[in-house]
Amino acid sequence: MSTQARGLNNFISDLRNSKSKSEESARVEIELAKIRKKFNPGDAKLASDGSNPSLSSYQRKKYVWKLVYIHVLGYDVDFGHAEVLALVTSKKYSEKMVGYTALSLLLRGSDPVMSRVIDTMKSDLTNAPSSSTNKKSNAPKNDAVQCLALCSLANISGLELIQAMHLEVQHILVSPSSTDQVKKKSALCLLRLTRTSPNLISGREFAPHLGNLLSQNQHLGVLTSVLSLLHGLALQQTPSYEILIPHVVHILSLLVMKKKCEREYLYYQTPSPWLQIKLLKFLQLYPNAVENHDLSTTGGGSMVGEEHVGQLIGVVSKILMETDVSDSINKSNADHAILFEAVDLIVAWGTSCPVVLREGAMKLLGKFISVREPNIRYLGLSTMAKLAQIDEASVEGAKNHQATVLVSLKDADISVRRRALDLLFVICDTDNAERIVDELVAHLVVADASIREEMVLKIAILAEKYATDLRWYVDTILKLITISGDYVSDSIWHRVVQIVTNHPQGDLQGYAAGTLFVAVAPARCHETTVRVAAYILGEFGFLIAERPGMSGDEQFRVLHQHWFTVDTGTRAILISTYAKLANLYEECRPLVAPVFAKSKNSVDVEVQQRCAEYAAMREAFSPEAVEDLLREMPPFEDKRRSALELRLLETEGENSAAVAKASIPSEVEQQRALLAAQMLSSGPIEEDMVNGMQPIEEQDDELVSKPSDEHPEDGDVDRAVGADPSGDVDGEGSAGGGMSQDDQANRVLVGIPKELIPAMRKAFSNLCTSPSGVLFENSMLQVGVKHEYVGAQGRISVFFGNLHSSPLQNFKVRVDQPDHLRMQMQGTQDLIDDGEYDSPGCTVATKTQAKLMILLEVTAPFDDAPSMRITFDTEEGEHHDYPLRLPLVATCFMEPVNLDPGAFMQRWKSLEGQDRECQEVMKLPPNAPEIDEKYMDRVSKIIVDGLKFGRCQGVDPTPWTVSGAATFRTGAQDMNGNNINVGCLVRVEANPRANAFRVTTRTLHPLCSKAIKNVSLVSIKLAM
Amino acid sequence: MISFILMVNKQGQTRLSSYYEWMDMQERVALESEIIRKCLSRSELQCSFLEYRGFKVIYRRYASLFFIVGTKADLDVRALDAPGSTAENYENELGLLEFIHSLVETMDRWAGSICELDIMYQLEQVHFLLDEMVMNGYIVETNKSNVLRPIDLIDRESKKTEGMFR
Repeated sequence: MSTQARGLNNFISDLRNSKSKSEESARVEIELAKIRKKFNPGDAKLASDGSNPSLSSYQRKKYVWKLVYIHVLGYDVDFGHAEVLALVTSKKYSEKMVGYTALSLLLRGSDPVMSRVIDTMKSDLTNAPSSSTNKKSNAPKNDAVQCLALCSLANISGLELIQAMHLEVQHILVSPSSTDQVKKKSALCLLRLTRTSPNLISGREFAPHLGNLLSQNQHLGVLTSVLSLLHGLALQQTPSYEILIPHVVHILSLLVMKKKCEREYLYYQTPSPWLQIKLLKFLQLYPNAVENHDLSTTGGGSMVGEEHVGQLIGVVSKILMETDVSDSINKSNADHAILFEAVDLIVAWGTSCPVVLREGAMKLLGKFISVREPNIRYLGLSTMAKLAQIDEASVEGAKNHQATVLVSLKDADISVRRRALDLLFVICDTDNAERIVDELVAHLVVADASIREEMVLKIAILAEKYATDLRWYVDTILKLITISGDYVSDSIWHRVVQIVTNHPQGDLQGYAAGTLFVAVAPARCHETTVRVAAYILGEFGFLIAERPGMSGDEQFRVLHQHWFTVDTGTRAILISTYAKLANLYEECRPLVAPVFAKSKNSVDVEVQQRCAEYAAMREAFSPEAVEDLLREMPPFEDKRRSALELRLLETEGENSAAVAKASIPSEVEQQRALLAAQMLSSGPIEEDMVNGMQPIEEQDDELVSKPSDEHPEDGDVDRAVGADPSGDVDGEGSAGGGMSQDDQANRVLVGIPKELIPAMRKAFSNLCTSPSGVLFENSMLQVGVKHEYVGAQGRISVFFGNLHSSPLQNFKVRVDQPDHLRMQMQGTQDLIDDGEYDSPGCTVATKTQAKLMILLEVTAPFDDAPSMRITFDTEEGEHHDYPLRLPLVATCFMEPVNLDPGAFMQRWKSLEGQDRECQEVMKLPPNAPEIDEKYMDRVSKIIVDGLKFGRCQGVDPTPWTVSGAATFRTGAQDMNGNNINVGCLVRVEANPRANAFRVTTRTLHPLCSKAIKNVSLVSIKLAM
Repeated sequence: MISFILMVNKQGQTRLSSYYEWMDMQERVALESEIIRKCLSRSELQCSFLEYRGFKVIYRRYASLFFIVGTKADLDVRALDAPGSTAENYENELGLLEFIHSLVETMDRWAGSICELDIMYQLEQVHFLLDEMVMNGYIVETNKSNVLRPIDLIDRESKKTEGMFR
């Protein structure tokens, strides 16, 4: 037993007797100095590897162990590496052992000295005969040396070591000559190596080897390790290891059904619970394994053999139904460990799991969360939160236990309270939000500090998410501030301001102003209250100014009483509020002026600047401008992921149940979003946000007014062709689909009426969504277009018909070839002007046509239509120059995709984000017909037939939305030679009351999103 | 995976620590002392789990000794968005709780009833025993005979060599 060196024991005793931490560290310092001296005495010559050859084996081991001990105590040890290496390279097992243990504890893989152990380690691993020179080294001992090396390699796992040795480790694992002891260690060693450098192993090649290991091995230690390895590998390349499911199910069923297990591996009569857990964890990686399995019949398609699926479900039901509480706590724990893992498997299967099992699990968990045993209750709560997220029915199931969960919220144990809070968060919805939130708020009063911040954040999110009445939301947040204002972060109160500002409907703003006035009236209140109140009163105070006791100067007074107790950040907000009050109410000005005068000299730059600017504003600008500056703020942009959710993500990590929950918008939220859209279209910022059509119209007018003075004489060929100004001017503003082809038509043409423009625009839009039609027509020329597309390729035929009484001469067409299109053109001789030489053009006789055919392939997303310029002369001596645009838009290359609602929503969510999403609200002109179901039918027809999207009906709960999915096909290839395609989703939401539409597109490519949005808007308008 | 295993006395002094993920000494000392403080302050009636800075900690008390196991989601689950990531991918809590017990039982079989002093003065063997049961953060063996066999080997060898050094 007592094999430890006496010197080491003495040292440990000394440390143990130390009365204080400083005494201990002094003793450690002395010891370190002593060891340093022993290792490098100065006079003695060191060996080539840097170790001191005069140390005896006993001394060396002793000092290295001291270093290890010192390290364990939490002191840095940065010397002695040479001695450690000397031990590792020793031939003696006992020295090697100390060496390897010290190596794995003291050093990390990236340490440069590691390169010096590679050779030794390699020869130890491969069982090299070098150690057989030692007489005592017989077979089992080599096995032990191998284990040491493996263990150390696993613990260190430096990149250099891995590169040098991973092949050996793989070989040891699969070699039939390796002992069980070695196999189990090499499995975990390999796991560590693949962790450090993934893709070390090709799953397809390695999976069969693992299969052999699983099927041939009866040694449960080896199986446990191999399963850990398998789980790690399968996480990296899940599909490659799917073929091993039958093996795993087989082993599991032997353990569970037959209890086939060596006696030594029974843990309180349970066959190795840790192996069972590993097996179940592996199966969790394959959520589709039991898909389509029918409990009653055989048949149904799944990757795994039906037999195994049946077996697996049998095993899981047995675990679920037959786990009992036993007298031995150890037995009970072991069995429940397996049970919880089985429920996790059910969670992983999700909706594809037989309902019986899910309901059974929920029932069990319901029992667990009401027991007294804290461990079981803790796990019951946390597992139920996962189970509840499967679908509607499971949330309903969990909601039945709401009362029980609320009890756990008051538990003495913070761990349990956290889980209860998390579960409540998950089961909260519109029905029970008020109850749950009120309970949480009530509990907040007594909750201790460690959980308060988390609770406040979650309450704020729930209140916002499920508030049927936003006034309740405002009240709740106010309560939060009152109860624990210190934990209400800025993002929470900013959110209140945002929501109040963005919801002018109802009396929310007035209500908020009134409530906050009351809240801020007492002499003492939380600073956050002052901030919210200052902002809200500044914005919406005028709504309550008529109420008794709440006039402008009263508002100033209740706010200003806090002036001396708040910090400068709050003062800055107050100053802006004062400026707004002073602007609205004459009587406030004398009150505000002295504050500004005084604060102009504030040491805080922000306060100083605000005061100076507000004070100087009246002199510097006209009254209208001041009025404008101090008007209430426009609604905030609605970011899909609020700051609160981000905060939650920060604190809880991606995998948290709460985060997943928070990111799904609730029904109420969706309704609110619709209302917000309505509000937007009647709000003050209508001019610049409503739609993209308007700016273009303005632009057109501008250009139309110019031409007469720019082109006084006709027939100036060179200039008209060379100048080409307006064709590109609208490149930027082609939000409406590039319908401004006509502007230049006006500027050069004599006798083309301006009235033609709307008709031409309509013709262009029409053509974007229909296969053929007339693009342009006047008294001389008719341009017809026919176009068809297959995938990324298309064929466009353009016909130029002469309607004039005389031939059109020098008739030329020049088509712009943008980078994103590969084009081939052919047509009537001399028609095409490729810009290289001065072609004379062709002549189109009366009542005949010239033809142009374009074959094209798209190579990248784009959002503008290519231009086509037509020039010709008439016999009358007029020169005509029409810059048009081909109706070639992104949606031409769509291929419909039919998604089921779940898949649609999943993709929809995954494409969230600034540059992937495009959204625009369009208000129909006043003379437009009402939006009714017939209109919506036309809209959906346009999305399906015109834009070539696959309609996803299941996602549209009301007739007022249309959702679709499509793929944008390009001919460009990625590195692997596959064509690049862009998945596109579109959603049109109508608001009949406001007579407005909102179009949202989400694609992987910003240009695609923009282009689809534009085309949809134009087409919807067209459907009027 | 298991990130660390600590054996701590009721005064909060670490008697043995084994980390399976490299951590800077400073960070390690801070983490260790905070986790130990939390564990020691909990009552017998509370559950055996606590969450701290992304770790799920499972602990068990035996008279004056605390066994503390810290776990984290698997290394690559944290990086990858693996299909199983809806479940938190922690180690099974009750499983580890019983693993601690199995560890203690194994130590008992080796040293009679294990106590703080055994751990301090048999540092070498305890480390070795632990290495036989846990390797790089995963359970490798729970069969007590298998675990103890290599330790017997050292004992035998050290007896042979004893004469040479003492």
